[in-house]
Amino acid sequence: MSGFAPAGDPVIPDYGQASNCVIDNGVFCTDWFADQWSSVFWPPLVDHIYMVLIAVTIGFVVAFTAALIAYRKRWLAGPIGIAATFLYTLPPLALFQLLVPFTGLTLLTVEIALVCFTLVIIFQAVLAGLAAVPDDVKRAAVGMGLDTNQLMRRVELPLALPSIISGLRIATVLTVSVATIAAFVVDSGLGSPILKAVSSPFNTQFIAAGALAVLLAFVLDGLLVLLGRILTPWTRVRV
Amino acid sequence: MTDTATATSATSARTSSTSAETNSSIVFDNVTKTYPGQSAKALDSLSIEVKSGELVCLVGPSGGGKTTALQLVNRLVDLSRGEIRIGDTNIMDLSPIELRRTIGYAIQQSGLFPHCTVAENIATVPSILKWDRKRIEERTKQLLELVGLTPVDAWLKRYPGQLSGGQQQRVGIARALAADPPVMLMDEPFGALDPITRMAVQDEFLEIHRAVGKTTLFVTHDIDEAIKMADRIAILKPGGLLAQYDTPAEVLANPADDFVAEFLGAERGLKRLALTTVAEVLGRSRARADDAESRRAPMSSPPEDRVDWPVVAGTMTLREALSLVSAAHSHGARVMDGDRHLGDVTLHELVCPPATAVDARGTAGVRS
Repeated sequence: MSGFAPAGDPVIPDYGQASNCVIDNGVFCTDWFADQWSSVFWPPLVDHIYMVLIAVTIGFVVAFTAALIAYRKRWLAGPIGIAATFLYTLPPLALFQLLVPFTGLTLLTVEIALVCFTLVIIFQAVLAGLAAVPDDVKRAAVGMGLDTNQLMRRVELPLALPSIISGLRIATVLTVSVATIAAFVVDSGLGSPILKAVSSPFNTQFIAAGALAVLLAFVLDGLLVLLGRILTPWTRVRV
Repeated sequence: MTDTATATSATSARTSSTSAETNSSIVFDNVTKTYPGQSAKALDSLSIEVKSGELVCLVGPSGGGKTTALQLVNRLVDLSRGEIRIGDTNIMDLSPIELRRTIGYAIQQSGLFPHCTVAENIATVPSILKWDRKRIEERTKQLLELVGLTPVDAWLKRYPGQLSGGQQQRVGIARALAADPPVMLMDEPFGALDPITRMAVQDEFLEIHRAVGKTTLFVTHDIDEAIKMADRIAILKPGGLLAQYDTPAEVLANPADDFVAEFLGAERGLKRLALTTVAEVLGRSRARADDAESRRAPMSSPPEDRVDWPVVAGTMTLREALSLVSAAHSHGARVMDGDRHLGDVTLHELVCPPATAVDARGTAGVRS
């Protein structure tokens, strides 16, 4: 950094004073974790959240639209379901391998793969929710003069919400987990501290990053549960 | 007496409310329905007229096409042949959506939207008709009062899941009435209720019907319900053929054929007695001058031979009174209104009521 070093002097970077825990590679070194939080953990965590939110949002929009189409045109439900299931069965690493020649080592590659994994879950959840709307409720609604769109907006979608929300919860938790593999493609997300820690076995970094991913999954799941509660107040009232 | 008075006022209220409106009769003109892929007809050449303000029950065994007949009216099912008119309009001249918004529709299990509050459920049709909020709010409250869910504010915000079956059905009726449709279609609306709730809701609905005077087509598989509710009964037999269309009294007295007689059951003679109240018999009998001495006197104690006669209320049906008389081994009953002695009815009068008393039912109906 500061010009040429004198010949013969080995360049030894100064990592500062390591604690005993770090030197012994203890299971979890709190002091190191606190020290490195802002550089090693916080940025990947934020990236990870973005990655998940983008994937689930796009996945939801695509799968939801597909489900509405399949609900109207029943014969399409089978083919769409099979296609979505096929995408779901692809091993994520293999999918990356397939995509990289086209989209490169970019976030786009990662998002395409992540979206593929959410589709079948959300698609089936929306369809199942719509199918579970009681017939007498629909008959009453049609009999009162609601048209197809009003029936969907006012009756079918609200009643499908609990199922849609549980689909979103599964898709979100799954995406948080799968997104750690994104580190094979881009240096981003909680997968990258894990990957680095795995290759240079350092327990604290590995455990902390993994724990953060688990924690993130729980938090996002909890937020969706909360959203569900706000959107479906009728499901909690009982005499 | 009070009962006869209410009957009269209710009848007049109904006539006045319907005569003020335009013709809202429902006419089935040679209506046939065959479902695709089925050789048997669901409904075969049905021709009946439900007059403005009338309550007609469609009864019959399953497979008789009664629900089909109802759903043809609001075009949930499409006609195969024939014509249905509401008032002067052929239902095929309106779009199904438009048509349905002018018809109140109530079904079994109420069909309430579980995710909507009572207020939102009732406001369904007004809100798609884009009524302003104030008007919807007023109408909702008015309807809840009409169906007896008071105080209104305690019910508005509840969800159907928080209501009993009977309460849900009341909300279902309020919702069907919301946009003040001239015509009501009811598909076994009380079918899922327990007997006691069912009786209560039937009574309330009859009262509402008299108050609002909607032309009503009411499907039920329960002949007793039909006898209790209907101005006229249309009995359908398997294959969708009309077996008989007449007043309950006439159907019970003169069944058109063996099918109708069997459908009415072995107790049809007794069911007929349920059409008339003690007060109605008393009203006719008291008018007879030769019978005056024993009935007009405001007696404090009955004559010796009538001491053991059971006490009945004027609002009781002859069937109920007869049951008490039979249980008491007496030859008649004393009719009391609280402490007031209205008169006596004899066993003979209970079993063979004067024809005029029975006929009165044809238009006025029984109250309990």
